[in-house]
Amino acid sequence: MIKRVEINYRGIFQKSLAKRIGGDIVMIATRMGQVGFSNGRYSDSPERNGIPCKYFAFVSPDLPEEELEAECGAKLDIDEADISVVLDDTMVKGVEPWGWHGVRSINEKVVEGGTQLVVTRKRHQDLLQFIGRKPYPYYLATIEGEASLAGLWVFKDDLTHERVLGAIAGIDPSLLSIEAVTDYLEGKTHDPARVAAAREAYETVQRTSRAVAPGEGIEWPYEAPRLPAWDEFRIGAAVPAVPRHFELGPRGQSRNEQFKRSTTKSQRPVVRFDLCTKCTLCWVECPDECFDPTADGYYDVDYEYCVGCGKCAQVCPVKECIVMVDELEFTDYDSPYEQWIEHPTTYVRWAEEKKGSERVTYPFVTGTGRLVVEGQQLAEGSKPVPKRRPATRVAY
Amino acid sequence: MATTSQRPTIGGGIWEREDLLTGCQAVAEGVRLADVDVIAAFPIRPYTEVMDTISKIIADGRLDAEYIIADSEHSQFEIAKHASAVNARSFAGSSGTGWCYGFEALVVTATDRLPTLFLVGNRALDDPGAFGVEHNDAMAVRDMGYLLCWVNTPQEALEHVLIGYRIAEDARVHMPMALAMDGAFLTHSQHMVRLPTPDAVQRFLPPLDLGERRLHPDNPISIAPQVNEDWVMEMRRQNWEAARRARGVVAEAYGEFNQVFGDRYQAPYYFDEFMTEDAEVVLLGIGTAAAPGRTAVRRLREQGQKVGYVNLRWFRPFPTVELRESLSRFKAVGVIDRDFAHGSPDDGGIVLHEIRSCLYPLRQRPAIVNFICGLGGRDISIAQCQEMFATTQRAATEDKLDGFVSWIGVRE
Repeated sequence: MIKRVEINYRGIFQKSLAKRIGGDIVMIATRMGQVGFSNGRYSDSPERNGIPCKYFAFVSPDLPEEELEAECGAKLDIDEADISVVLDDTMVKGVEPWGWHGVRSINEKVVEGGTQLVVTRKRHQDLLQFIGRKPYPYYLATIEGEASLAGLWVFKDDLTHERVLGAIAGIDPSLLSIEAVTDYLEGKTHDPARVAAAREAYETVQRTSRAVAPGEGIEWPYEAPRLPAWDEFRIGAAVPAVPRHFELGPRGQSRNEQFKRSTTKSQRPVVRFDLCTKCTLCWVECPDECFDPTADGYYDVDYEYCVGCGKCAQVCPVKECIVMVDELEFTDYDSPYEQWIEHPTTYVRWAEEKKGSERVTYPFVTGTGRLVVEGQQLAEGSKPVPKRRPATRVAY
Repeated sequence: MATTSQRPTIGGGIWEREDLLTGCQAVAEGVRLADVDVIAAFPIRPYTEVMDTISKIIADGRLDAEYIIADSEHSQFEIAKHASAVNARSFAGSSGTGWCYGFEALVVTATDRLPTLFLVGNRALDDPGAFGVEHNDAMAVRDMGYLLCWVNTPQEALEHVLIGYRIAEDARVHMPMALAMDGAFLTHSQHMVRLPTPDAVQRFLPPLDLGERRLHPDNPISIAPQVNEDWVMEMRRQNWEAARRARGVVAEAYGEFNQVFGDRYQAPYYFDEFMTEDAEVVLLGIGTAAAPGRTAVRRLREQGQKVGYVNLRWFRPFPTVELRESLSRFKAVGVIDRDFAHGSPDDGGIVLHEIRSCLYPLRQRPAIVNFICGLGGRDISIAQCQEMFATTQRAATEDKLDGFVSWIGVRE
């Protein structure tokens, strides 16, 4: 018997986290007398920001290690997962890895009776509106938490690591028992807070786990790519360029249909066109050329190609004009500019509702993780008022 | 039996004139006649003389080409590769460790399937520094998707620049060509060479046409993308098929060459046989070892010995079927290796392994012995070749000698 755990994570920011979880599953299972090993999907590009990647842990109570390796070692992808962990809940919208897999539903590999475990603050029904339906029942479990997006090579030690281990024990005690998890953490760290975090998640997950019925979820809108046979593509893999096309307006410039990167983002820019001064900076600075100039001088966003890097929001000189918002707040990739032109008042109200009162950033370089500051909410017609910081008093 | 070392006669609108040229100069004249568009240059003996000659040819107005001096062998091959990608006929060359320094560029030229032509003036691999011939430098690309061929005279060198481009640029092949020649013995040895007319060359060698793979503003494409395990195996298969197809194209190209230039080469083209009709034992070698080898054959024939010599010209594609057919006629084959393969089966040379592997499926196999000789540019004498024939002859009757490897001409 083999138990397969996959850990879905975002490239670079969660790489260390995913690897630690995978490694510790093996360490703990081994102490329980099982054999196991852990690896990452080799076609992934985990050094690239936001790219969806996978780490795996394979455990067996009865197979020799070599047979386990033969079944599970270094594959393009695993065939099935008993537990699929998601470390950033925006990945439930589907993931497109670096290799040619196409956009896949997050639960694609979850077996009948298996569990999809998501670290999130969202409710089950919020998640299921993005997840593909399956023909058989499985479980959806959550543990409450933020996407633990750390800095480039920084490990953000926010106890997500311990909590996921505890949750796995709660889902399948034969894979990891909670005693083995807590003994391991205690012996390794001598830190009661870490043991307590694992135990809390162990209990939480048993409360939050609920069966997902066959057919529950959405009809998956993406097709997996069919890879060509050796004599069906140009020699040397020369790829014809996307024909050049440009006209003003939404989706006016040609882009590569084969290279949409929408599943890379955990946030997307919401634009208040009524506040825009047409300064061009978002259009100029966008590293992925996602902004389409319109005939009246605005800049529409093509969300199918936006990777959610936040550069536009950073360079926009108008406060509250471009704000990054949690990707799970959105269900479509339609042109925001067209919505605004059609119903300006409704659009502004909608945009403010999506923006809410919090402005969330992830200072990746410092690795301090999720940073929340208070935002300003602006009705249509009002102008943003810059907030003055109180003078800092310096003590000599 | 005729060998290709015989020179063609002037006239008939085919051969323009005769000149005394080194192997290097002959290659440069071949580059001129092939109307190469881009030449990349970085000096190393013996390529330096090719560079010198081409630059003079350009300065004299005899060739209109971009001549780019690189900062290293690596850049040099990259320049030729990129030029080839935009449908320019390109040329570069090197030898020994210089060739090795360019290796990353060499392998990507093959995987990108760009039909450029590189000269390898065989040179020993340093350290210690040495100028003389060894075949290990050129042999390093043997499995990378290269056409790999050795020439023995300046005349052949000139002609194989043309034949090389013809095969490499064939749409069924599109592989780079490594044209190898023995350093010093051929590169720096002056011989009378007949130069064909540009008209005749044009009749033989059509312009390069990469078709849909031509990198050009009118044909925007991406080449050499990052691919992973979901693509690479199919690309290797494409390359494998091309290398197999190249076998037919080689024969076709020689046939066309013979049509334009008179019967210069004999089937099966991949190798020359000398006095083998009734031979019982033969030596097989690559490159200029043929000169003492064939001379030894003549002398031993005078003594009534049934010996012959096989000069292997093409190493990639390897003439599997043709060599099986040819070598199975003999009682014993002595394989001459001007290279080393330390720690390999029987501690023999590279050519030994390929020949043995080629003959293995045969029910009737000749005994095979191996001679490591001429390393680092040491000459191979007629007497040594006679000694090799004697050993090979003993192998024909003594079982224990099969697979035996001996070093010839080493101080003991």
